[in-house]
Amino acid sequence: MVLDALRDRTSTDADAPAIVVRDLTETFRLYHEKPSGLKERLYRFSRPSYTDFNALEDVSFTVEQGEAVGVVGHNGSGKSTLLKVLARILPPDRGSVHTRGRVASLLELGAGFHGDLSGRENIYLNGAILGLSRAEITERFDEIVEFAGVGPFLDTAVRNYSSGMYVRLGFAIAVTVAPDVLLVDEVLSVGDAEFQHRSLERMRRFRDEGKTLLVVSHDLEAVEALCERVIVLDRGRLAFDGAVGQGLTMYRQLTSVVTGDDEETDERRRHRSVEVVSSALTGRGGEALAAVDPGRPLLLQIRIHAEEDLPSCSVGARVEGRDGTTVYESHSAWHGLGIGPLQAGQDAVVEVRLMANLLAGHHRVHPVVTDPSARFTWGTGAALDLEIVPTRGATGVADLAASFSVSEGPAQRVGAERDQPTVAGLD
Amino acid sequence: MATVRVARVPASSLGAMISSRDKLRDLWLARELLRQFVAKELKIRYKNSALGFLWSMLTPALMTIVFTALFGFAFRLDIDDYAAFFLSGYLLWQFFQNSSQSSITAIVGNGALIKKVYFPREVLPLSMVLSQLAHFLLAMLVLGPFLIVTRGWGVLWHLPAALAVVFIMAVFTSGMAMIFAGANVPFRDLQELIVVIFLVWFYATPVLYPVALVTSSAEPVVAALGRVAQLNPMSWFIQLFRSATYGNVRVLPGGAGGDVTGLQFVTTGPTWPDGGLFLLATVTAFVTFGLGYVLFNRLALTFAKEV
Repeated sequence: MVLDALRDRTSTDADAPAIVVRDLTETFRLYHEKPSGLKERLYRFSRPSYTDFNALEDVSFTVEQGEAVGVVGHNGSGKSTLLKVLARILPPDRGSVHTRGRVASLLELGAGFHGDLSGRENIYLNGAILGLSRAEITERFDEIVEFAGVGPFLDTAVRNYSSGMYVRLGFAIAVTVAPDVLLVDEVLSVGDAEFQHRSLERMRRFRDEGKTLLVVSHDLEAVEALCERVIVLDRGRLAFDGAVGQGLTMYRQLTSVVTGDDEETDERRRHRSVEVVSSALTGRGGEALAAVDPGRPLLLQIRIHAEEDLPSCSVGARVEGRDGTTVYESHSAWHGLGIGPLQAGQDAVVEVRLMANLLAGHHRVHPVVTDPSARFTWGTGAALDLEIVPTRGATGVADLAASFSVSEGPAQRVGAERDQPTVAGLD
Repeated sequence: MATVRVARVPASSLGAMISSRDKLRDLWLARELLRQFVAKELKIRYKNSALGFLWSMLTPALMTIVFTALFGFAFRLDIDDYAAFFLSGYLLWQFFQNSSQSSITAIVGNGALIKKVYFPREVLPLSMVLSQLAHFLLAMLVLGPFLIVTRGWGVLWHLPAALAVVFIMAVFTSGMAMIFAGANVPFRDLQELIVVIFLVWFYATPVLYPVALVTSSAEPVVAALGRVAQLNPMSWFIQLFRSATYGNVRVLPGGAGGDVTGLQFVTTGPTWPDGGLFLLATVTAFVTFGLGYVLFNRLALTFAKEV
């Protein structure tokens, strides 16, 4: 049996999937009042009072080696439970889970740190918890200390570390485990901006090395930047599995409030015959645009055409940055405006006034028509280009219109060629 | 729109593959983790108290003084070197009791870790046992000379037997530690109950008195206690260890006793323990370990949900 297991392991072909989940169901027993003592146990012997709750229900998917997959869903959708099953913290109640190679999980940074032990001692302890041998930790020790930036405090008890140092050290140890499959739960949202940036970098490198990555996060930007595929969980069920752009749109729809007619069937809510027939992006006066200065007022006109009778719908737009990330999204429903009722064959034109508070670069505007709660996309129009011209005095994505002044101490004018008087208080 | 990917791997017993393969790997990886957990236990104990490791010796030394005053002088049990007699039993008992009582909270006290990281859970109670073993060996190192002074060089000569007993004692204790640690998760009353259990168990085990006291009495209540002592594994371990580090205590037949028990005791020097009893204790130790391991691993499936 042992030999079989070994042979099985070595014979696994190189392109076997990294993760196979089949019909996974995970059940939690919610006791109405947990009978953990002797008295309660005797008292309740005949009638245990609990309800079973499925945190995951019949979830199946496969992740190939080298894939980076994001897992998104509401609180309580089963994301963390899924990760715990994959990390072997919870055994599957029904179905099966199969992982290939060394699996490391980052469910909490610095889990297992002991406050009374020094940073050095905790590196060895935490490394061992994550499955590293002593030699492996020694080999990576300098790398860990450098990444975490805790060099001067190595022999200080971690109880005295700042929360930032604590988290950095935890992350530094975890990523040096060099697993084949890395499971990450929300840890990207901790620490300061610089640390977040560095850890995201580290995960990218990890992905580029051809390792498998599964990331649970509420940070959709991070998921979008890191993953090409996304799994959406909704109340324990797999609601979507596919390309990241589509998946995140679906997730956003899930997060917006349901206000639709309860009598309507799911199918009717998801799909209706209505289209975005045309759309145009112009200046406020309707003048055509080439490249736009930051901060310029814009007018987006969206014409929809109903092919069946519609009691109500919503129109919206999503603005995409250079790298495909969503820079802005809004729907008429979110502003309390519904369109309809429309009869079959009837058109409606929606005008969206917006400001181009963006910085240099190429953007795309996607007009959509959705159900009245902006949860389900009924129709998508052709994307419009939005080119923002470069501006002096700022870089980045959004135009936050900064101006500078010195309120205490001497000031001087620099860069005399500057034509806009952005420096106040020197005139 | 939503594409649900279907696994390409045949459905044949994925679960079974995981369990046998991973158990093997876990066992291998657990060595370093066990070492680190033991080191952690020892370091924390050392760092958080002014006297540190001295406590390993202070407790048995103080207990020896109290019980020697009581039974060596006040009640006058007619046993040679009562202090050495008590110590040779109490050290082993203390190892068992401390290991069990620290293991009982090993799982429920580490909920945060168990919910967030996977590692073989048995490492937690086992690390408690091993750190207590370190304390025990240290105490032996310091208090051993006292046994040599009182009982002669025979203590050193029979050291291999004493160490063999310590080994099977550690195996037995590990089994019990896993049972206590695992059972306390669904049944939290155990951690209150264990204080009483160990108090009763201590007095029912021939630590304070020689086993001969209860096995050769005609008094029905004491004779019942004697039968319990003969079925009590702890009494076997203590008898075996005491043979090698102190000697055997026998009752002189028909002797008119000079002490409170009405019995007359004959004490030998340190000697080789009884072979049959050693075999029985060894088998019991390994069976207990096996049972503890199986029970613990079954309970461990739901630890992450229940702690």
